[in-house]
Amino acid sequence: MLQPIDSLNILLPILYCLVFAVYLYDFFNEKKFVNNSKRIILFVTLLLHLFYLISRTIEFDHPPITSKFEIFSIIAFSISFSYFILELLTDIRGTGAFIILFSIVFQIASSLFIEHNFVVPEVLRNRLLGLHVINALLGYSGITISAVYGLLYIQLFKNIKANKFGLIFNRLPSLEILERLSYYSAVIGFMLLTIAIIIGIIWLPNAFPNFSYFDPKLIGTFFVWIVYGIGILRKLLGNFYGKKVILFSLIGFVFAIMSLIVTNTLGKTFHSFY
Amino acid sequence: MNLVGISINHKTSPLELREALHLNHDEIVTFIPRLKESLFSEGVVISTCNRTEIFGFPKINEFNLLPVINELIQFKPVNGIQQGHFLKFFSCGAVRHIFSVASGIDSMIIGDSQILGQVKEAFEISEDLDFAGAVLRKIFDTAIKTGKRAIKETKIGEGAVTISYAAVQVVEKIFSNLDKKSALVIGAGETGELAAVNLRDKNIGKLAVSNRTTERAEILAEKVHGEIVPFQFLKEQLHNFDIIISATSSDNYIISFDDIKIALKKRKNSPVVLMDIAVPRDIDPEVKIIENVFYHDMDSLKIIVEQNLQKRKDQVPLVQKIIIEEMIEFYGWLNTLDVVPTIKTMRSFFEEIRNDELEKIKNKVSKEDYLKIEDMTRRMMGRILHNPTVKLREFAETGDNIKEVTAHTIILKELFNLGEAPLNGNESNEDEHKEDRVNEKE
Repeated sequence: MLQPIDSLNILLPILYCLVFAVYLYDFFNEKKFVNNSKRIILFVTLLLHLFYLISRTIEFDHPPITSKFEIFSIIAFSISFSYFILELLTDIRGTGAFIILFSIVFQIASSLFIEHNFVVPEVLRNRLLGLHVINALLGYSGITISAVYGLLYIQLFKNIKANKFGLIFNRLPSLEILERLSYYSAVIGFMLLTIAIIIGIIWLPNAFPNFSYFDPKLIGTFFVWIVYGIGILRKLLGNFYGKKVILFSLIGFVFAIMSLIVTNTLGKTFHSFY
Repeated sequence: MNLVGISINHKTSPLELREALHLNHDEIVTFIPRLKESLFSEGVVISTCNRTEIFGFPKINEFNLLPVINELIQFKPVNGIQQGHFLKFFSCGAVRHIFSVASGIDSMIIGDSQILGQVKEAFEISEDLDFAGAVLRKIFDTAIKTGKRAIKETKIGEGAVTISYAAVQVVEKIFSNLDKKSALVIGAGETGELAAVNLRDKNIGKLAVSNRTTERAEILAEKVHGEIVPFQFLKEQLHNFDIIISATSSDNYIISFDDIKIALKKRKNSPVVLMDIAVPRDIDPEVKIIENVFYHDMDSLKIIVEQNLQKRKDQVPLVQKIIIEEMIEFYGWLNTLDVVPTIKTMRSFFEEIRNDELEKIKNKVSKEDYLKIEDMTRRMMGRILHNPTVKLREFAETGDNIKEVTAHTIILKELFNLGEAPLNGNESNEDEHKEDRVNEKE
């Protein structure tokens, strides 16, 4: 089993680069043949990536969440997978290159530094932890995608306001669609983050004797959750339109990144496994 | 093929001349009998606001196009018109021009979608007046096919090339579902009407019209199934609309910065699109600084129009390639028309040989033997010529393998020195086709 895992480890960044290249080519040239085939290439890449993650789980007898670089691979997968689902649901195919770029970065970092972890702490073999981490990562992927759509929205918004009718104007979907994509991604991200928090609150106190509700990572995640919760609620209540929704999504994303950086580097936490 | 034609269009003459020379449906119907009487055995008259063109097969072989121009000018006298305003086309050039017109690359606005329908209509008039034969029908069928291929296979018809349509294109980049949006068109003139029609075509959810003269607003509102906003209450109603297109002839702003600021407040800052397609402008351009206000005027919309026109120009070589392909196809078909006369010539050639040989032995054998020999040679000729005749006829009737048909015909002519079969635009070949089919049945 190690041979296919090693091969896929090399192949996955190449495949993501290929998917990115095809999406980017289509963004600039809009060819019908490319437009139809790019989704198939992405699907095949995701299938292989899923096979890679399952293979690692079976081979090393733990979910691939025991090191930063295993986590990176899951992030790469979940970003592209979330985009794929979004593309299937909305049939908006012009924005893939901007999202898949994130998968490339994470997968390259993962493929370069990932190791074969046969021996890991017992707590990391727990299935609830796997569920907790995967939900959290999918949640963060959701808000990342929301932020990417937010940035595209801002770009198109500026272009329209400034009477620039070039590539961005011609290829991106309408502002309303970008707003909707950003909002839905944030909602999905928020929901998954909620599940991750609930699992965490139930399971963490049992798994870690030194568990504390004042743990910086917990507080940071909860803070991000609150920011998105307020934004989504205001949108649901009808007080939020257009650029405000986008700005909220971007601010939420910045908070999320800051929270991750601060809690992973500065704070002392029981919540750090690597 | 001796197809000829004349054209006066936007490239050769000013608008006044083209307008003055324009023939409406009834005028074409009256004019065609004059052409039929003295000049053409069959033909077509195409007349739009940008071109008037006459194509046909002359009744005589040595043909000068001057009488056609004179006939047109006599029918519709126009001051200042000269021969130099007309382009003249012959044979292959005429076919190519018709295909170019139908595909929209010869139009003033490249890729104009209306011209295809106009070409089709022009040919239908000729058909109704019994002024179109098989070859002309094939030319126009192919022209229409060329036009359709150009639209389907290239981007020649894509993108907004009018200001009012460009306004709708920008609106579509801001809102996704126009069927859930409301729009107000201020001004019921030509530009306002065009904008209202474009919005209606895009299935706008709610459409309203406002105009200083209520009667004109009513006419336009009825045409686009819209509502009317009384002009005096215009400002109080602004907040009810997601899209406002203004195209009045007012000398001053009719919507101020404050009007929009108030409207936006009432809308809880929900985005609004303002399209000012009037000259001078109707809306204070300062409104563009307000967040969630998308303001565009003629200058900004012209950028889109120019970009789209350039994109269409870039598609012209692709359309020209389609035209060449269709011309090859058409001339291939035309060559198949040569098959039936060739079969006839071949059969006559063999019949002559048989008669010659029979003549030589007529006095050398008994009458009874002569009849037997005559009968035998007839059957022999029939059997020898059966297969080539049937095969060539099959080729000609199906129209498949055009290159093969042409090659077979040429080989046959070369081998038996059959000479050139006459080919022109009149229906003689087609008649022979029909006649031959009848003979075969008999």
